[in-house]
Amino acid sequence: MGDVILTMKGIDKSFPGVHALDHVDLEVRRGEVHALMGENGAGKSTLMKVLTGIYTKDSGTITFEGKEVEFHNTREAQDAGIVIVHQELNMLGHLTVAQNIFIGREFKKGIGIDDRKMNEEAAKLFKRLNIDIDPTETMSNLTVGKQQMCEIAKAISHEAKVIVFDEPSAALTESEIEELFKIIRDLREQQLGIIYISHRMDEIKVITDRVTVMRDGTYVGTLITKDCTKNDIINMMVGRVIYEDPKTHSMVPKGAPVVLKVEKLNAGKMVQNVSFELHKGEILGFSGLMGAGRTETARAIFGADPKESGKIYVNGKEVVINTPEDAVKNGIGYLSEDRKRYGIVVQKSVAENTTMATLAKFVKGIFIDKKKEEKVAQDYVDSLATKTPGVDQLVVNLSGGNQQKVVIAKWLTRDCDILIFDEPTRGIDVGAKNEIYKLMNKLASEGKAIIMISSEMTEILRMSDRIIIMCEGKITGEIDIAEATQENIMNLATREIG
Amino acid sequence: MTNQKTVTAAKKQSSLEKLGGQRFIVLLVIIGLAIFFSVMSPNFRKYTTLVSILDYSYYIVLMSIGVTFPLITGGVDLSIGTGLICYSLVGGYLITFHNFPVWGGMLVTVLFGIAIGILNGTLVAIMEIPPFLVTLCTCMITRGLGSIIVGGFGITWPTGTQPGAWFRNIFKITVAPRKMLPIGIVWVLILVLIMSYVLKHTKIGRYTIAIGSNKEAARLSGVNVKAYHVTAYAISGLFAGLAAIAYSAVFSTVQPGTGAGFELEAIGGAIIGGVSASGGQGTVTGSLLGVFVICLLKTGLPFIGLQANWQQIITGLVLIGAVLIDVIKKRRGIE
Amino acid sequence: MENLKKNPIVKKIGLNRILLVCVLIIMYVAFAIMSPTFLSYSRILSALNYVYFLGFLSLGVTFVIATGGIDFSIGPVMFCCALISGFCLTNYGVPMVLAMVISLLVGLGFGMFNGYLVAFWSVPPFIVSMASMNIAKGLASVFTKAQSVSWPQSTSAEGWYRNIVKVGNIPVGLFIFLGVAVICAIILNKTKIGRFILCLGSNKEAVRLSGVNVKIWEMAAYVICGLLVGIAAIFFVSAYTTVQPGYGDQYNNEAIAGCVMGGTSMAGGLASISGTVIGVFIIALLQEGILALGMNKNYQLIITGIIVIAAVYFDVLGRRRKN
Repeated sequence: MGDVILTMKGIDKSFPGVHALDHVDLEVRRGEVHALMGENGAGKSTLMKVLTGIYTKDSGTITFEGKEVEFHNTREAQDAGIVIVHQELNMLGHLTVAQNIFIGREFKKGIGIDDRKMNEEAAKLFKRLNIDIDPTETMSNLTVGKQQMCEIAKAISHEAKVIVFDEPSAALTESEIEELFKIIRDLREQQLGIIYISHRMDEIKVITDRVTVMRDGTYVGTLITKDCTKNDIINMMVGRVIYEDPKTHSMVPKGAPVVLKVEKLNAGKMVQNVSFELHKGEILGFSGLMGAGRTETARAIFGADPKESGKIYVNGKEVVINTPEDAVKNGIGYLSEDRKRYGIVVQKSVAENTTMATLAKFVKGIFIDKKKEEKVAQDYVDSLATKTPGVDQLVVNLSGGNQQKVVIAKWLTRDCDILIFDEPTRGIDVGAKNEIYKLMNKLASEGKAIIMISSEMTEILRMSDRIIIMCEGKITGEIDIAEATQENIMNLATREIG
Repeated sequence: MTNQKTVTAAKKQSSLEKLGGQRFIVLLVIIGLAIFFSVMSPNFRKYTTLVSILDYSYYIVLMSIGVTFPLITGGVDLSIGTGLICYSLVGGYLITFHNFPVWGGMLVTVLFGIAIGILNGTLVAIMEIPPFLVTLCTCMITRGLGSIIVGGFGITWPTGTQPGAWFRNIFKITVAPRKMLPIGIVWVLILVLIMSYVLKHTKIGRYTIAIGSNKEAARLSGVNVKAYHVTAYAISGLFAGLAAIAYSAVFSTVQPGTGAGFELEAIGGAIIGGVSASGGQGTVTGSLLGVFVICLLKTGLPFIGLQANWQQIITGLVLIGAVLIDVIKKRRGIE
Repeated sequence: MENLKKNPIVKKIGLNRILLVCVLIIMYVAFAIMSPTFLSYSRILSALNYVYFLGFLSLGVTFVIATGGIDFSIGPVMFCCALISGFCLTNYGVPMVLAMVISLLVGLGFGMFNGYLVAFWSVPPFIVSMASMNIAKGLASVFTKAQSVSWPQSTSAEGWYRNIVKVGNIPVGLFIFLGVAVICAIILNKTKIGRFILCLGSNKEAVRLSGVNVKIWEMAAYVICGLLVGIAAIFFVSAYTTVQPGYGDQYNNEAIAGCVMGGTSMAGGLASISGTVIGVFIIALLQEGILALGMNKNYQLIITGIIVIAAVYFDVLGRRRKN
């Protein structure tokens, strides 16, 4: 580790109603990989946006290479040598790799662009990074992993001195991650300062030198990675030892009937030969890393995406599910990980969203019976304790947790016996989380069968009666809650598949 | 996850291949149509027919070259048709009633086109109003404006022995009695080459594609997307202006209130030629070929005893067909 | 302004619509002051003639825009309906009632064609519009051999059909139009079709994942539009009798203008039938007023264009502020 290249001190940033950053500090040295950790909403991304000029800070100072700086846009930050490799790839699919890398600063030849020189320069970059990519290939033809490599190459080509990696491994395969780490180590050798944002504890241990932890928009502390344990970091992130006691044994009565059976389901690379059973009154946790194929499995079962082969049995009878319509008819409801896009119609009212899946029940003659609709919606608002001024309130005005309750109400009006919760508490604050958990337990005890996809280990351990672990599109294991530990789950989730 | 799907979908067929492929098919269609009409009708084989096909094609080709740019940004420009008439009316009006020299009138015609293009671009790129709505409105506005400026009468550009009629020679010169040489095609092809170069090898073209591909990514890369977005529409306006000159030269008389529908042939041609309706993809040569399909149909159908209006029906169906092929290919890719 | 927005009556009717009505009244008064002849009953009748066919077009396209789509083939399709049915009437001796049915069927056919391609094949609506516009113009010209068609005059045997517009001096058409508008409003706001059209315009994927067959409902919007275009054709000939092939483009713009001005959002999911009705009245009034002032139609085109851009810009601004 060399001298300090970047210091952020007392950074403060507020948005209407939210104090996103509260006097946060961060210090990065040359030749260091510095992890930035924290739960969702801890303020990591906001801090990085302040650093790279996307947001302007309210107060505090940024010192870069000994000089105080303030960037007004990403271009200025880039020019100074601070570059961010985004979580969502910012690629231009129709252009070639080289054209992507040099977008916005093309080499000129007369009035035109010197594409040949750009290809040569890109090839040089890839050579320096030991990556095998053809600069003239069209971007959209590359795998996500390779696209990410291009993003990194682009960052390097800016003569970057500090590179921010924002959850770079989320979409990568195991071998691609290996490659990424090799590149990061190389960059460290070259005395760059690297900020690495990730949720994966094992990666942090492997690749980083120091860890700065944030919580709820505040700075918690900085540790030297090799001197601390996973638990130290977790304790700093959550501010207490662990959320709550995990479930110790399954709540499902012995001999509960199988309500859903999936046999050899195949749908692309992400869903391969998936088979499992779900019992009445059970909460079946689906664990695994990002991109393990859990959401894809759920969507294939629900008919949201086409499947290639496989059988689905509901209550012992084989059913054909090609569209969500079929799934709903068979009593399956799906609560998407991305509520705003797939769960609710934000510009419509609570009542309208509640009856979305069951509108036929509320039609009298040719008209929608608004009174009945509102009454039913109100009943669910009461029973789920949804916080809303009224059922005619637009859903957009509700908080994340309450929006989730509206989606749950939608499926409850439909009397769905099988509910698939995909990341049910993503983006929901702690208090509301507990309410959703209580609700799920209540539903299970009333005999609903629940599949819960979750990336949060504590959530899996707290809620599930049984856990299925997926990795790279395949089920790699099944554990009863009584035997489940973080270690054996993580083990299965990262298992090498031959 | 959808991201990955598009990646695999695109993997199955390189987009470059597809573009070349589509252009190749369109070229075959043109040759096929030409052979078909020639076999069916001896009159079609005449030199004068070729000249008249070219005459009819200039203004549409020119519009099509220009509109390729907004289409690639993922937008559209519906104002080029009525715009063309408006610019031509104003230019001709200045020449015939205000003693403008012909080159002056032509300059005004083109500048007017660029101005409306910039107006469109500003409304789309800076005020973020949906492009087809903006251009639908400027389509109405230019239609009205042209008539109002010239007072509602038809305008005739200089013809025959009138001074200034030389400008018609830009597109067609008489080399011998009753023998015309359609040299307009040379200029059109040169413009096609220039704009091909602009699209492929200059910043303007590169960023036009970037805007259609992923505008936000281009912006974050420090590209002044607004300026280049406006430029795309300005190019469309410029070529509508050039098309106006071609139209005036070929037809000499321009009537107010006409022009609606021209844009459909130009845009239809571009899309048949491989410009993606969702942006990011397209070539100028493809647009040129696409327009020729439409022009061939329009000129050829009467020769085999069908009304020219069949061309509209066929164009409509071909347009849907071209897009459907694209849609089906994409779906296969996903599944 | 903020206080005004909170007023319960204002809230119920909607500030936009109140403003629109004010605009309508101000325009009427302004034209009346500028041109004394503007107040005559014949002017009103003439403006109403314009309201009818434009109104039906505008009502139709409201449904399509509510889904987040667009249809700018409606003008030429209306002409296609009127020409084909009129040609059947005058050249094949088809009875009047049947001719009207043909008009509706042609409109319906185009609506189904458009809707099927957009909903089931995900062809971008603007491409579909362009194609149907071409096809409608071509079909009408080919069918009528590029000749204009004159529907019977009031005095002739089959002239009774003109009574749907006007009996003596009573504008019957107005009541029919308002009646249809009320039906449209009911469909949009009180029935399953309308609910799903609005919801899928707002977030199609969420509706699909609720187990709703979104394709059917999306197509339904275009079919409703097609039917209303067929009706518009009947009212067009009832008011003007003569139709020419190759025209109709400008009515697209005006119909969409009426719709957008009335507060229907181009982004989909938000539509107002009453707004559309007022929007259409404004456009018709503008047209009539400009004629009364001795100016020609071209001024109206320009003014309408500017108004629409302004209306959409405010819609865009409003949405930007919300985000």
